Amino acid sequence: MSDKIDIRMLRSNVESINALPTVPSTLRRISIMMEKQSIGLEELGRLISNDPALTAKILRMINSAAYGFPGRISSVSHATMLLGLSVIKGLLIGVSVFELMEKTMIGLWEHSLGCTVVARMIAQKKGLKEPEEVSVCGLLHDIGKAVLMLQYADVYNKAMQEAEKTGITIHEAEAGYFMATHAEVGHWLVQKWHFPMHLVETIRYHHRPNLSKQSPMETAIVHVADVLVRAKGVGYPGDLVVPSVHPAAWEMLDLSENDIGDILRNLEDATSSARETI
Amino acid sequence: MPKVSVEDLKTGMKLAKPLSRGNMVLLGEGTVLNETWIARIGDMGIDGIFVDGPSEQPIPKQEAIRQLDERFRNVLSEPYMERIKKIVKEHIEGLYV
Repeated sequence: MSDKIDIRMLRSNVESINALPTVPSTLRRISIMMEKQSIGLEELGRLISNDPALTAKILRMINSAAYGFPGRISSVSHATMLLGLSVIKGLLIGVSVFELMEKTMIGLWEHSLGCTVVARMIAQKKGLKEPEEVSVCGLLHDIGKAVLMLQYADVYNKAMQEAEKTGITIHEAEAGYFMATHAEVGHWLVQKWHFPMHLVETIRYHHRPNLSKQSPMETAIVHVADVLVRAKGVGYPGDLVVPSVHPAAWEMLDLSENDIGDILRNLEDATSSARETI
Repeated sequence: MPKVSVEDLKTGMKLAKPLSRGNMVLLGEGTVLNETWIARIGDMGIDGIFVDGPSEQPIPKQEAIRQLDERFRNVLSEPYMERIKKIVKEHIEGLYV
């Protein structure tokens, strides 16, 4: 198709997200702040603490069943110490993206929350040192969809309708309309916000986990989490079908039937209660 | 763990999650509801709370399985997908007993 949206134009539009009048103000503010290379944990903590609404949202999220962070965290300074810079940055984007997702694609937030829970559980089962880091990757993996929907609502709606009609995935449908998919779009964004490599890679390669060089384990986890959440039919990620799992990623994680049953039960509980918490 | 709307709360039900407003926990997990608590919860203007017990499913079992078949229809011949579907199906069936 020759009228696909050009990749350079797409990238420049995505990267100038702050200039969009339709971007929720919290996201704009956080985005501008994160573009600064040097933002530190202390500055970030102060910024959150000075904003009561943001503080409440972050604490509610950390303490909700979906995240399962250790113990009860009651202050931003405690949270920043316990979870570290990249998790806090991810959660900040997460709470502000919530508003955006709710506005653009009903059900995308629930899908993302589902992936957050499942990614954390797989990370724990595989003994990863920082399961919270992986759960944030699950939370943000589809951020590109929300941004594409915000900027190209008409075209994206067409892609979703096509996916629904023909039974292909939204990822496949996107390729007919854009020269890049939501995975690249998300990757541009988190790169612009100076997120750590594992987050950049999981977002970029969550549909092609075999391409991840730096974080193959984390990327495999988010890929499999996405498949399992769709298999259970939690939320709406833009289509109604389950994509096939990448065999190498599946084998790398080597989950038993018991593991998966356990994950599905937790997914059930966390997503039903998470609707309440945000 | 079903979410029960405020009108349908009955004494003796047990909270499956703490009930909180903002960062403050008002009633802890495991609290057994009495008439006073139910009246207070009614005054809070919330739509429902989580209580212990099996969840009520939003759609009937047959429909849930039909949707599952539909979701997997294009990928069953791909590696591992049949196995994943079987595990998810067993999980879904388990929600209805």
